[in-house]
Amino acid sequence: MTPERRRRRLRRRHALGAAGLVLVGAVGWFAYADPAYVPALIVVALAVLAGTHLLFAREISRREVVERALHDANRELESFSYSVSHDLRAPLRSIDGFSEALLEDAGPALTPETRSHLERIINAARRMSLLIDDLLALSRVSRAEMKREQVDISDLAAHIVADLRRADPDRGVVVEIAPDLRAVGDGQLIRLALQNLIENAWKFTSRKPRSVIAVGRARDEDGAGAFFVRDDGAGFDPEYTDKLFGPFQRLHAASEFPGTGIGLATVQRIVHRHGGHVWAEGQLQQGACFYFTLGDL
Amino acid sequence: MNEILLVEDNPDDVELTLRAFKKSRVMNEVVVAHDGVEALDYLFATGSYAYRDPNQLPQIVLLDLKLPRIDGLHVLERLRAHPKTRLLPVVILTSSTEQRDLASGYRLGANSYVRKPVDFQEFVEAVRQLGLYWLLLNQRPPVID
Repeated sequence: MTPERRRRRLRRRHALGAAGLVLVGAVGWFAYADPAYVPALIVVALAVLAGTHLLFAREISRREVVERALHDANRELESFSYSVSHDLRAPLRSIDGFSEALLEDAGPALTPETRSHLERIINAARRMSLLIDDLLALSRVSRAEMKREQVDISDLAAHIVADLRRADPDRGVVVEIAPDLRAVGDGQLIRLALQNLIENAWKFTSRKPRSVIAVGRARDEDGAGAFFVRDDGAGFDPEYTDKLFGPFQRLHAASEFPGTGIGLATVQRIVHRHGGHVWAEGQLQQGACFYFTLGDL
Repeated sequence: MNEILLVEDNPDDVELTLRAFKKSRVMNEVVVAHDGVEALDYLFATGSYAYRDPNQLPQIVLLDLKLPRIDGLHVLERLRAHPKTRLLPVVILTSSTEQRDLASGYRLGANSYVRKPVDFQEFVEAVRQLGLYWLLLNQRPPVID
């Protein structure tokens, strides 16, 4: 059943309950006016009350079943992530470690081709490890308890850009951050979303000698306040816009721009958890702009 | 020079850790305990280690969390509950960076928490720094009788 239908049914039952109360009031009034009606009216009123109670009780027990299922599913997800975190990395450590050991110990005896194969194995293990880390980060976003606090988005963006500049001081990127961008939400999650968006902008402008990244304020189609992160980098083919936010979806070759394809899925999940929405505009080679609202959490 | 107690059930990880120690020229003897029971037996000189002098403690314990029989956090709890091992330096060396592992590890009194990287070169570097800090730089707590 859709949530909309469930809500409608619940409303119907509330109406029924209200009708029951009105009836009880009427009974009282009739009884006061003419005592002869009392026994019959009491029976009718009790029947209506019992009926509405039964309906409510059934609704509540249904809700409990759904909630318990949700709770179980969450717990299962939790223990799944936990064992992914512990157990999936160990075999990768062996693959990477022993390939390295082979390279070192048998180094001079290996042909260039064999060396290259070993290096491919090592690279694949490291890439899988990155994928696992990103997947775990994504699932952590869904599991994290949400805080509600004042968040200074301008300040967060400035810090993220400063980190990027420190790591990559030779890039000619002009970053324009609008002042006083503020929101209410979970600071850590919003930071993670911004970080993904700004790092993407930084990455997809890396082929240009000069580029501009902007963080600012916008409106969605309903006129609600939104934020944006815009760049003038590689952009994307608008035909694939709906693929942008799917986990593991990538619109560029890994050799061109590295990444696991989890970043925008993480952004979307964070925005959804805040009751907001996220969308993108772009053209190939003409930059991209990502918008998000944070709802009224 | 006291030994290092490596509590680790995965033989591949044992081998890689030993290799990393060798590459970073850590000369201390490394004793391997393959589960929590063995680790506690070693440290308290009980069971198969009953012949040991219980006052001889390793320089450092490198503790994995997911272990057969008694897991790492329980080992840590038992060590912190006993006056002899209460101050023994314990470094958690594990795959996970789950918040709850970090929180429980520190709450139960771990001295440090290091994640085993997948990249072996990073792992060697981590082990080298661990050795430098815990075996050379850090002063051991006094032995309590």
